[in-house]
Formats: sequence, structure tokens, C-alpha cells
Amino acid sequence: MLNDAFAALKSYDWGTDLAPLAPIEDAVAAAHGNAEAGKELEARLLTALQGELSRDAKDYICRKLTIVGTAASATILAGLLTDENHSHMARFVLERIPAPAAAQALREALPKVSGKVKIGVIGSLGARRDAAAVSALSGLLADGDAAVARAAATALGDIGTVDAVKALQAARPSAAATMQAAIDAQLTCAEALLAENKRAEALAIYKSLASDDRSKLVRLAATRGILACAAKNA
Amino acid sequence: MSLSFGGVSKSWHSPTCRERPRPSPNWPLVNRPTLAKVPLTGLSLFLPMSMNQKPTRRAFLKTSGVALAAPYVITSSALGNADRPPASDRIVVAGIGIGNMGRGDQNAFLNRKDVQYVALCDVREDFRDNSKAGVDKHYGNSDCKVYNDFRELLARTDIDAVHIATPDHWHAIMTIEACRNGKDVYCQKPETLTLREGPLMVAAARRYGRVVSGGSQRVLGDYRKMVDPAWAGEYGKIKSINVNVGPMPQLCNLPKEEMAEKIDWDLWLGPAPWAPYNSKRCSGSFSINGSSWRSFSDYSGGGMTDWGAHHFGGALFICDVMELQPEEVTYHGDQGAPYLSLRYPNGLIVYHNRPNTGNLAIEGTPNEPVPPKPVPGYKGDGIYGDFIQCVKTREKPFRDIERAANTAVVAHLGNMAYQLRRSLKWDAAKQEFPGDETANRLVDRARREPWQL
Repeated sequence: MLNDAFAALKSYDWGTDLAPLAPIEDAVAAAHGNAEAGKELEARLLTALQGELSRDAKDYICRKLTIVGTAASATILAGLLTDENHSHMARFVLERIPAPAAAQALREALPKVSGKVKIGVIGSLGARRDAAAVSALSGLLADGDAAVARAAATALGDIGTVDAVKALQAARPSAAATMQAAIDAQLTCAEALLAENKRAEALAIYKSLASDDRSKLVRLAATRGILACAAKNA
Repeated sequence: MSLSFGGVSKSWHSPTCRERPRPSPNWPLVNRPTLAKVPLTGLSLFLPMSMNQKPTRRAFLKTSGVALAAPYVITSSALGNADRPPASDRIVVAGIGIGNMGRGDQNAFLNRKDVQYVALCDVREDFRDNSKAGVDKHYGNSDCKVYNDFRELLARTDIDAVHIATPDHWHAIMTIEACRNGKDVYCQKPETLTLREGPLMVAAARRYGRVVSGGSQRVLGDYRKMVDPAWAGEYGKIKSINVNVGPMPQLCNLPKEEMAEKIDWDLWLGPAPWAPYNSKRCSGSFSINGSSWRSFSDYSGGGMTDWGAHHFGGALFICDVMELQPEEVTYHGDQGAPYLSLRYPNGLIVYHNRPNTGNLAIEGTPNEPVPPKPVPGYKGDGIYGDFIQCVKTREKPFRDIERAANTAVVAHLGNMAYQLRRSLKWDAAKQEFPGDETANRLVDRARREPWQL
């Protein structure tokens, strides 16, 4: 049955019947708690992924690897990150599997890509809260592509380390949207710090954003944060 | 995840914070004098309901295209009358996603005298054109502006609130972006597509002091015959309630079709995986059998979230656990059709599709009645009036985004348990499945570039 399903993958495409692939679904569910079965299934999926398949079939495989993928998947999927037709579905896996190799693949792809694909990789590093990416992302805050800079700011806010906060505070982007993202990211960092009872660090961020040169929306958000810090201290 | 709420205590939303010029010469240059009491983390502040900059007449004339061409006239419509507040006291509303649900939401806001509907956004040209025609006809002018890209609409500084009725895969991105731009939000249900989105939407709403309402009118409207006796204590301590709803969403691999409509396909897909155009893929019909986006997992949680937002919402209201999330979902798949039981921290069990059990069937202890408590409700007329009233007062609406997201969590946990075919434990405080590395992978999904939360 599983062999038939993998055979069906070769002709699978948009518009074909999904039913023949059901054994793969079954195998994914059955792999829970069975490392050997999971590893074997992952290997078969990766082998298929490297064959001549439709985009839809490759996407299907990536969806399954999101559940059973390991570091072994990261090595193969790294090669798809720079391909604009497959980068998203490669990130579909690499953003979610916990293996450090997945984060490494994303970091290594960063200097190789540009435009929307780069924004996607940045977003996935942020979603993974990858502290090792802070240096590279900080450098992108001044990127000539404002959309890339904005994405980097948002990702740094998700990561929220001390170095990420420093980079965001030092950023002086010219594009309004990037500045808005950098401020929002700082507020995100402050909320995370306060949730971890790091009141002084959170308060410093809020105070820096409460100055008169900020928009009223930001000043209000910062003031709310300052009051939240006070309540936390009480 | 516990909150004091609704009719019991006042919320702590901050005042609106808008910096905006008024949109047309019909807007008189007066600032809103309303004061709102804002209890905020134990302190009380009195702040003006509107913190918009007071535009000067000179500044207004500089930005008004007709400034030098015609005298400035305040119309009788702008000044208001016995039936309608003056323009300065109306809530300025715009809509994003004007399909089946969006049209209904639009009409509800359009027909409110305390609302000025000024703009709309849709990726379908005919939806934009038809909708604008309706708005303009309603007001007897041609002022309604249309947008293909929601970011342009949200960047406008004169809009107070937006209603969002796009497919579900857009809800979180648009709601968060609206909050970042100082807008209040009425977001159609189901409000989230993934578990991760709910807390981020709540965080954005709280960060910027926004009023963000979910969209199920049925939660309060359809289940009162059970809510009232439950809250009156007549059922005693409720041990369990069953919800029959479905189905799960399915993967969509519909074939490519020639585009028979003018639609910005890349923007319709947005954060979802790329796929070829197919009219059923993007149909906004209410079908969940494979002929609308509501059927497909890239855009929706299927019937589980679509009708689940109503039925689970009603069940959680009946059992007074709207502020909570389940801590465990048990997958019963040993014999017959699988079903679920979701256990709450207070011991309540919410069943899903329990065999031979009716929808919203309750197991209570009627011989041991519990003390009655007041039933929370809307603060305005209906769910739209509730939202608009809360925009004015800065209170939390009945379907505050945190409550709405809590409801969606039930459906998401259910979908995951069925997908993985096993039981799951859920830590609501940490928003993770403790010790379950595989399940944690499904808390969120990578978004197609260039979209981020």
C-alpha cells in the first residue's frame, strides 16, 4: 500500500486524486512513538523529493516532513531555500522542526537570497526565535530593500534577546514602515522581558519609546507598558 | 488566561489614539469632547476618547483638494440632526474583504447612524466596484474609496475601525497590522487559522489599546435558552457538554482554471502556499464540502472552526469557560467513528461528536443547583452595536479577541488530534504541548513570503 502511494506521487499534481496518497497519511500518524518507522518514512519522502516530481507533489512531501522531518531533512531542504518556487515549502518544514540543523540551513541561506525569498527566510528565523541569527538580522536593519529591513526588525522582535533589543534601539531606518516595525518589535521585546520578570530591562525600553518625538499611538503603548512595570513591581 | 470581563467589570482599554486629518470637506473641524474613564493596571486615567490631533483650518485647507477652488461649506448632513450624530461623533469605518460575510458586515455598519463608512478593500475588482456603488448610493455621493491592497487602507489616518471578512488565513496578519496602525477591529470568525495566531492578535490589541471583536453573533444570539438556565444555576455544576460539528479541513489540489474574474491572485493567496487559480478554491460560499475556501486547510479549519466558532462558542458560554482553554484533548478512536473529549482546568469535559449525543447536550447536576450569576451581554444593539459602543467607550466587546481566540483553540486542538490520531496535552499558559515535540510543530506554520505576523 505504501509503495503504491509513493508510486502515485510520481504522477500527483493539481487536479489528480488525493486518495492514493492516503497510506502516506497513515504512515505519518503511525510513526508517532516509533523512531525507526519515522526515520524510514522520512528517508523515503526525501528520496522522492529529490526526484522528478510536480511542484504540488513536492509541496505534499514537505507537508509530511513538517511532522516527521529531522536534521536529515534540513540538509536536503537547504537546497530548496534559494528556489523561489520551493523556498516557502522548504521553510514550511525548516521553520517547524526543532533540529538545530534546520536553523543553520536558514541562516546559511540568508546571504544567498534576496527580495521576497529573503523576507521569508528572515521571517522563519524570527519564528524559530533563533538567537544565533541576531547578528545577521541586525545588519539587515539598514538593508537597501525597505521590506527586508522591516522583516528583519519584526524577526528581531520575535527573538527578543538583549542583543536584538540593542540592534533595534540603534536602528535609524529612513522608511517609515521599517521604523514602525522596529518600534513594534521593541514593544514585543519589552512585553517578553516583563513576562520574565525582567522589569528594569522592560521599563528601559518603554521609557525610551515614551518620548515626545514618538507618535501618540506609540507613546500610549509605552505608557501602558510603564504602568504595567509599576504594577509588576507593586 | 483568566480575565474579569463583560458585564461584571469594566475593561481597561486605553482611549483611541488617532492622528488624522478628516477625510472630506463634509467633516467639521471639531474635536470630540467625550471623556472615557480608563482603569489601567490599577490606576485610573481620564483621557479624551479621541486623541487625534486637532487639525487647523489652515492645515485642512492645505490638504483638501478643493480648498482653493471652492468655499468651505459645512453641510447639514455633517452637522447631524435628531436622527444622526454630527460627523465628528461618528465612527469612521472601512471594510476589508467584501464577499458574502463582508457584505453583511458592511451593511450592518453602513446602516448605523453613528458610523461613517468611507472605504473598502477587496482583491476582486467586481466586489470592489459593486460594493462602492452600494456605499455611494447609501450616502448619495461618490466618496467611498476602494483599495486592492489592505495595507494602503490601513495606512490611512482618518479611519477609526475596520471590519475584516477575508478568508481565515488573512485574519491574523490583517488584525495585527490594523492594531499597529491604531485601528479597532471587528474580525469575522473563525478569527485564527493556527494556535499561534491567537496570542499574537491579543497581544497586538492590548499593546495598542485597541478594541478587537470576534464575529460570531450566534454565541449570544442562538443559545440563550441554555445559557440563561445554566447561568441561573439550574443545571447545577455542568460536568460535560457535547458539540456536533465538522468536518475537518482537507488538502486542496484542485486543478488550474482559467481566471474568469479580475482577481489579484497572489494577494488572495497571501501567506498561504502558492497554488493555481481555481474558482472553487477561492469561492466564498458557505459550503464546506470541497467547493469553497472554507473546505481547505491552507485557508480554513474547515467546518470544525467555521461552525465550531458558533457551537463551541455557545458551549463555552453556557459552561462559563470562555476565558479558559482546554488542558487535554483525548482522542477516542478505538471503535466506530472517532470522537474527542476536551478537559478544562475546572474539570468540565467538552465532547466533540460524542456518539449518540445531541448537539449541546449537557450532563449537569440539576439536583444540586449552584448560585446564579449575571449573564454578560452586548453593550450596544447586537454584535455590531456592541463593537461600535465599545469603540466609543473603550470597553471590551462581548466577543473580545481573547474570548474568540479561546474558542478557536478548541477547534484547532480538535483538528490536530484528528490529524495526528492521538490524544494531546495542552499548556495554555505556555501555549505549547508539553513534551510533545511533534504536536508543537503544528502550533503554527510558515507563511509564504513576504508575509509575517
